[in-house]
Amino acid sequence: MRQPGAYSKLVSGGKSGPHSLPLARIKKIMKNSSDEVKMISGEAPIVFSKACELFIEELTKRAWIMTLQAKRRTMQKEDVASAVIDTDIFDFLVNLVSHDSANTVRESDQPQES
Amino acid sequence: MVDNSEASSSKDMIKEQERLLPIANVGRIMKQILPQNAKISKEAKETMQECASEFIAFVTGEASEKCRKERRKTVNGDDVCWALGTLGFDEYAGSLKRYLDRYREIEGDRGQNRVNNNSEENNLEENNNSLLYRNNRVERERDDFVV
Repeated sequence: MRQPGAYSKLVSGGKSGPHSLPLARIKKIMKNSSDEVKMISGEAPIVFSKACELFIEELTKRAWIMTLQAKRRTMQKEDVASAVIDTDIFDFLVNLVSHDSANTVRESDQPQES
Repeated sequence: MVDNSEASSSKDMIKEQERLLPIANVGRIMKQILPQNAKISKEAKETMQECASEFIAFVTGEASEKCRKERRKTVNGDDVCWALGTLGFDEYAGSLKRYLDRYREIEGDRGQNRVNNNSEENNLEENNNSLLYRNNRVERERDDFVV
């Protein structure tokens, strides 16, 4: 285990590595979001790497509440869906989580628990 | 020998990977915010991946619309912060502004976009890579560390 450097502590509040999400991938997702997106500054993916982290944390915490209400210790997809439906600012995700089970085909379909 | 169906399904897999954040990173963020004994199903992580990409697209759409109205070509960090505030993610906007300010402090003018440059793609990647690698060599190895 290595120690996070001074730089990473300053920028990311103690987590190892300056950004926990790959900037190039974020940039790709931004570019693919619409034809309107022309140029993206270097900082924008960096802001998103933090914003996504906060978003994932919030949605995860809310989903976990659903998991506990169902008296389980393993978070399931339906818990994430319930948290989305339950939260106003996540309205933009409602269609995504309700269509998800029908339409998403993933390469690997062995369910595993972490 | 690779037949057509194999080739096209591996292309699909690549496209799929490109539109989502890596499941390892997403899973790690989820794990870190939950109690130690919490478990997360693979499907829940996959759903979170989808939601995160949709989040990026949603916020980017708002930010780029602002740029269009103001006749600016480049979506910058402030635009993203503004869009987050507008879309109801005010809580994030606050701590993100601080994050962005600290980043700008460290990077100085390097952090700002080299705007309207034909080789923008290359410049941005170099910019980000130098940010990652220049200040602390150790950070580069971080990508190898998978929980």
